[in-house]
Order: sequence, then structure tokens, then C-alpha cells
Amino acid sequence: MTSTPDSPGDDVAGLPAADSLRLIREQQDRARSALEPDARALYGAWGVAWLVGYLVLWTSGRGQEQPEAWAYWVFGGALAAAVVFTMVHTMRRTAGTRGVSARTGAMYGWAWMLGFLTLGVLLGGLARAGAGTEVMGLASNGGACLVVGLLYLAGAAAFGDRNLFVLGAWILLVAGAATLVGLPGTYLVMALAGGGGFLVMAGVEQLRVVRGRRHPEEGAGRA
Amino acid sequence: MPDALDPVIHAPARLRVVATLAALDPGDELSFPKLQKLLDMTAGNLSTHLRKLEDADYVRVTKTHEGRTPATYLALTPQGRRAFEDYTEALQGLLRGAGS
Repeated sequence: MTSTPDSPGDDVAGLPAADSLRLIREQQDRARSALEPDARALYGAWGVAWLVGYLVLWTSGRGQEQPEAWAYWVFGGALAAAVVFTMVHTMRRTAGTRGVSARTGAMYGWAWMLGFLTLGVLLGGLARAGAGTEVMGLASNGGACLVVGLLYLAGAAAFGDRNLFVLGAWILLVAGAATLVGLPGTYLVMALAGGGGFLVMAGVEQLRVVRGRRHPEEGAGRA
Repeated sequence: MPDALDPVIHAPARLRVVATLAALDPGDELSFPKLQKLLDMTAGNLSTHLRKLEDADYVRVTKTHEGRTPATYLALTPQGRRAFEDYTEALQGLLRGAGS
């Protein structure tokens, strides 16, 4: 049943039905895993960044007014690493595609940029108006979480991803709780509930992938 | 029964091309080099199959420029997507018939 791809006979020489369905499934799995960002990797990266970054802030901030400068550097470095990883990973996977999804993704990317740019300006304004260390700490943390949570809700709506909606709602809940707890407990809530939330999501995505492998027929031919 | 299967996408190489493009959301396009990488085909081989699919009105070929470099993008037409769905349904029907 094999045929050379360009031989005239290849129009009629096909594979048995089961082999054709397997060929379709394998090819589509390959295409999806090469073109779509791996949610497990992205959630994992952000989970580790929040867990490590905020734990360092909490450890350094206990028993004094605010964390040491080095702790902020570690925190900033962890978040910057997660940002760079997310951008490089997503751009590599989506390179060579264009159309509706690419435009949606670009608008979503810009929404993050504009959200954090505005937050930066807003915090600058609060500092100029005389906000103290504690207020600035709470406002920058809560504000960043508000942007993250709302953009996850927006992303869930744009990409039709229910799990992402749950994560967005969870992050908003964590933002509120962390702010009410007050410094430095804020950072512990962020590390455990926030970072932990991302890691749970990475686990949920892993389960989804394993289940998809066990019941491959559900995916065959799905457009 | 085999005459129920679409001869244009029944050839394994073209079936893989169509299956790959069907994995995209409708409204999305894939560049020629990326499609070639996903299929492990030579450029000439892939072009031949794409021409047959284009002749059948299953694939839309868009030639454009990115900066000064010419670029080619591929997507299934609505007919192509329907043909692929009909084809997979026919295969599943054959399999159910054989299994009972």
C-alpha cells in the first residue's frame, strides 16, 4: 500500500482506514504541539517565579519595615526571567502563522504591556502624592495582581479557555486576600496561594495532556 | 466502498498536508517553510502536492512579501475543510463497519 508521493498511482493507493486515522492523529498532534505554546511550561515558569520571588521578599521583610534591596533584585530577576521565557517560547511556537489567531495574540500581548505601563505611571503618581513605604508596597503588589487577574479573564474570553478563567478569578481573590493580610504576610500569601495556583494549573494541564493521549480517538479529525 | 473516499486527499502525503492545515483555526494561515518543517517533505515535493490541492480548490495559496522577502502562506478553503471532515467521517464509518 505504500506509494511514492509523486507517482501517478498515488491518487488511488491509500492506507487502510485505521492507518489513515492514525496518520491524521499523529500529524495533527505534531502540528498542534509545534504551533501552540505549551501551557504546562508557561504556568510552571510563573509558578516557580512567584513562589521563589515572593518567598525571598517575605523572608527578607520579616521583622523590619521592608525587604532588603537584594531581595527586590531577586524578585525582579525571577519575574523578568519568566517574562523573557514566555515571550521567547510563544514567539517561537507561533512564528510562521498569521491570521485571526495571530492578530488576537498580538492584541493580547499589547494589553499586558499597556496594563503594566499604566500601573507604573499610577504608582509614580501615588509616590508623588506622598504614599508611604507600606502603601506603595501594597498598592504595587495589589495593582499588579489586578492587572494579571483581569487579563487572564480577558484571555479566557478571547481564547475560549475555561481553566484560564478559573486561574484569573483565583488571582483576583489572592490579590484581595494578600492586601488585607498586610505586609509582610502579603508576600507569603502571594508565594503560596499565587505561585501555588500557577503550579496547580501546570498539573491540571499535564493531566489534560495525559488524558488526551489515553483517549486519542476524541482528537482525531478535530478541526 | 473505496470510491466513497476522496481521491484528492486519499494519498498519504496529501492527507498529511490537509491534516496539518486542518489543525489550524479557520482564518489562520501557515507559512510554506513552517508547513514543510512539520511534514519533513522536500520543497519540490510539497509544492507538487499543494498544486494538486489548489487545483481541487481545497487549499488557498497566498503569495506576499515580508519586507523584501517573498513569502507564501497556505490555508484550507472552506471546501477543503469540509472535504477533510467528510473524509475522516468516512474512515471512521469504514472502521466501525469492519469492527462489528
